[in-house]
Amino acid sequence: MDKSLHVGLTFFLTQLGIIFFIYPEHIIASSSEGHWLPILAGAAANLIVMAVYMKGLGYFSNQDIISIYTNVGKSAAVLFLVPVIFYLYMVNVIAVRAFAEIITIVFLSNTPIWAVTGLLLFISTYIAANGIASIFRTGVLLAILFLPSIGFILTISFQNVDWHYILPLIEKRFEFLTSISYMKSFYVFATSFLFLGFVQPEITYSSKKLLLAALSLIPFLLLAVYIPVLTFGRSTASTFKFPFVMLVGTIHVNWLMFDRVTLFLLLSLITFTMLFIALLIWQMSRMISRPLPKVKPVYLLLFISAVTYIGCIMIPNWQDVEELFICNMVLRIYVWLIIPFSIYFLGLREKRKRSYEPT
Amino acid sequence: MNLRKRIIKGLIVLTLALPLSGCWDNIDINHRVLPVVLGISKSEGIFHVFLQISEPVTDRIRIKIVSGSGRTITHAIDRLSMNMEEHVDLLHVKIVLLDKQFAMEGMSESIVDFMRARDISPKALVAICDEDLPSFFDKVKKGLESQGTILFDFFEKNAGWNPQISLTRVWQVYRSIHSFTRDVAIPIVRSGKTTAIEHIGSAVIKNGRMVARISPSETLLFNAFNGESTQGSIEVMNHASVLITANTMRNTSSMIGDTPYMKSTIRLKVVLLETRGQPTNEMIREELDKLLTERFNAMFGKIQAVKADILGLGQFYRHIIPRESLADWREEYYPRLQLEMHIETNIQNTGFLNTP
Amino acid sequence: MNAFLQEVKDALGRNDDFFVQRQTLLEQQVTIFGFATLVDVTSTLSIFIEQELSARASLMEADAFWHTLGTVEETNVRTAVSAIQQGCVILYLVDRNRMIVVDAAQKELTRSIDLPSNENILQGPSSSFIEDIDTNIGLIRKQRSAASMRVRTFATGREQRKKLTLIYDEVYAEPAMIREMIGQIEDHSDMEINHIQHVSKLMGFPKWQAIPKWNTTELPQEAVSALLKGKVVLFVDRIPFALVLPNLLWDMFALDNDRNYSLPIMVIIRSIRLVGVLLTLLAPGFYVALVAVNPEVLRIEMALSVAQSREGVPYPAIVEMLIMLVILELIIEASARLPKSIGPTLTMVGGIIIGQAVVTARLVSNLLIIILAATTIANSTVVGFQNSLSIRMFKYVIVILAALYGVLGIMAGMVLLSAYMASLRTFGVPYLNLSCKKGEMKHG
Repeated sequence: MDKSLHVGLTFFLTQLGIIFFIYPEHIIASSSEGHWLPILAGAAANLIVMAVYMKGLGYFSNQDIISIYTNVGKSAAVLFLVPVIFYLYMVNVIAVRAFAEIITIVFLSNTPIWAVTGLLLFISTYIAANGIASIFRTGVLLAILFLPSIGFILTISFQNVDWHYILPLIEKRFEFLTSISYMKSFYVFATSFLFLGFVQPEITYSSKKLLLAALSLIPFLLLAVYIPVLTFGRSTASTFKFPFVMLVGTIHVNWLMFDRVTLFLLLSLITFTMLFIALLIWQMSRMISRPLPKVKPVYLLLFISAVTYIGCIMIPNWQDVEELFICNMVLRIYVWLIIPFSIYFLGLREKRKRSYEPT
Repeated sequence: MNLRKRIIKGLIVLTLALPLSGCWDNIDINHRVLPVVLGISKSEGIFHVFLQISEPVTDRIRIKIVSGSGRTITHAIDRLSMNMEEHVDLLHVKIVLLDKQFAMEGMSESIVDFMRARDISPKALVAICDEDLPSFFDKVKKGLESQGTILFDFFEKNAGWNPQISLTRVWQVYRSIHSFTRDVAIPIVRSGKTTAIEHIGSAVIKNGRMVARISPSETLLFNAFNGESTQGSIEVMNHASVLITANTMRNTSSMIGDTPYMKSTIRLKVVLLETRGQPTNEMIREELDKLLTERFNAMFGKIQAVKADILGLGQFYRHIIPRESLADWREEYYPRLQLEMHIETNIQNTGFLNTP
Repeated sequence: MNAFLQEVKDALGRNDDFFVQRQTLLEQQVTIFGFATLVDVTSTLSIFIEQELSARASLMEADAFWHTLGTVEETNVRTAVSAIQQGCVILYLVDRNRMIVVDAAQKELTRSIDLPSNENILQGPSSSFIEDIDTNIGLIRKQRSAASMRVRTFATGREQRKKLTLIYDEVYAEPAMIREMIGQIEDHSDMEINHIQHVSKLMGFPKWQAIPKWNTTELPQEAVSALLKGKVVLFVDRIPFALVLPNLLWDMFALDNDRNYSLPIMVIIRSIRLVGVLLTLLAPGFYVALVAVNPEVLRIEMALSVAQSREGVPYPAIVEMLIMLVILELIIEASARLPKSIGPTLTMVGGIIIGQAVVTARLVSNLLIIILAATTIANSTVVGFQNSLSIRMFKYVIVILAALYGVLGIMAGMVLLSAYMASLRTFGVPYLNLSCKKGEMKHG
């Protein structure tokens, strides 16, 4: 069944959920002016990778990436998929932990971190347990419920911008290319798109529409970085850990009955993150359940979230979250580049094989 | 059997959930004190903190002023909280009132701390008090017996704000500390004789330190320059007084050699209120132009002398001066800046009467 | 005494309303028996006599005459007993040891078609379904006379055969769904149906479902509009409403009668229902969250007045909220139980408690009362009583989460609810689908 809208929307939401938090900090740190260049460069690279990935998947219309690798051989499957599992696990731990930390910093200073972590994981596991079609439907419902409020807050967040901060437009030395922060910023792209390889053959989608979804994220990437820069100026914005969160804190709306509108933006984004975490857990359970067909998927899910929970609790502070983030970088580049391109080349091989077969 | 098991499970979950809600110190709103104004002064390394608390009692709101002191602001508040029967919650602080002495010594550290912690909203207004905080609060308290938010309303745009008052929030002060090209002006208040508070101009803050002071009418120009609407403000001249109904602003910046040049035009739409003698429209326009230009130049001279760029003029040179040099804007370029000011006045109407 | 007669008497003779009447029709001995409470004995007998007279006049043979009354069958106690229970009489031909099941003149035991009693209709056709299943099917046929409509009737149960009718429209309904449904009913045709939970069991739905798998309606108009949307209408004998399968999320907000107004008005009416549902779910949660966990979200003026209204309330917001919610539920439940004549007393007492006394006694804050009232009113805007019950229940989940996590808890509750709704499927149709018409299954 063609579910481009569902898949595209879910992809869009999971990306949206993560770009407003750490991404602006990394981009602002990576370059002192002309931030649009690194953003667009990153987005373009992401589009290429996604296109390659989907093109490769297109050669195997009825297989998910697990079967693709298993068909090549057991060792190939282990070689490619074990790092992915490991990577997804780390991303999951980092995401849950980071968001739990953000939640406690921004609005639940009294609530212990284990409780927030538990809530995030509980809901994500529940979403994941209902299966992929349900995840997509949940995504659509969440979009209907929360996208309007995000749109509203993004519009009013232009309240304090000073357009002069947009200048100078061009930074000639391309210093971002050598910056570690810029490398870090790729985390935004490196995870969400993977699930596209898992949903076939139950659900099909058109890769054009998916690319369109990725394309429509670019304005949000720009907004996430530029609104804080335009409001605070680069030198001030670079002192913040979450520039966008800080920015929303400065919005003053006289006529609203609520004082801190920040909360609503953050919470809407956090609901999208729950979807993201659910997808991660679901992908992991798919990969682990292949060699263990006897175990009920629900138990696998519970096991994964329990392990994630333990992982989250083991991290003592924010410093370590960031360290883990850097440790994860090698794996991230591996997953972001090797998986799509290997699928693409396997696809080419498959195509060649098939064209020989009839003769 | 199955049903009974499920019911028992459900009950267990419920009974676990209920006590949890009390577990992490969630304090109901009526057990928190919600200070609206936080006053800070510093003497000999000791912070003195004043809180203006609106306390709901049966059918009205009572104003209470409490104070405490400590080595840091949080320490002082903590000691205050310890001695009060309810929990002090700074989440609703709307105005941070700084002692003038403290402002002159430098307050950047405190501002940075406000930004770091979530307690005080970055939207809180900053103001400077031109008299001793204890006596100020004492007098103000008498003036606000009835209403809890009066000090705050004084600054609120849809309540008591006037264009002569500069509005500066904590995040803007923070921005000025880090920015190369932007300083801020903070309103100065003191307790009034007939009204609760009296506004006596603005303090020019550079890098978190008060360096000069401008009068309310100069603040009006400052606000006009920053595009803040100056609607409804009255200008008194020798021959007439007018009501400003709208203002727009245009700037062109250029750089000749190492000297920045700037041409600014403020367009005002005014309505005639009072006249003395028989001035023509032309006369009124010229007079207004002259008056405002002079006043502006006086203010600009004052702030240029202390190298504080509260007008954010450096922003207009972002595309001309490279970023590395822009870091020296305040020291290198700003003092040399030549600013040419034009005021264009458009008398929108003259009320029901014709003017000669 | 005859063996067959004796057996039937053994089965039913201990009922005092069982009658046995001997009669001679066309010179043959017949015994007529049935329940006097279901059958109008006098008129049944007089019909027989009239028919006998006309048979005599046309010189009809006895054999042919019996066939005009009904099928002449071998005697069978089981069939006889169940026919009698359903309000037929048995005509036993003593000489030939044969019986005839005759539809007798019925006692008037069903009410006539009336105004709907559980649903209100504004400016629309207002006849409603009754207990008698045939009348209901007739009402539907009257409302929509199309050749593509199909009516399938099943009888289920071992002890008693209960009639179950499935109506769908071949043009609109998804054939796979219909096939699955009919298969499900046929596979479980020996299950007893006494109430809706039994129907649910028969259809193979899980017991623990917070959102019903069907919509109930009393109005032929709504049932027919459901048919046009590709849904299936299920009637059960003696249940005076139609079960519309499957229930979709959008049914909570849309009523077919809305289309009797102009389009903008319809849109407004439906969005009001949407607001109603959101308000019901969120308002109590927000009160708890803002009072106890995240007061910084409130504006200072609001915060002060909330604090003032809660001054002296001795327990935390969550307890306050739960107490009042439970009292409100009790009032709703009680007013459904009480006879109409005592009902107003309850409303009055409840109104005094909720409106004045609790606040004056400083047991709860008056803001809470406002929120409760708004919630209760908003809750009633939902289409379908079953749906309003579900919403009423979900609000508790959100209140409890709000007490734990503040505004985050509310959002988490909404996500949980969304995920739950997304996971529901009825015969392959996801709950979130906008339509279940043939070929339109993919949107949601």
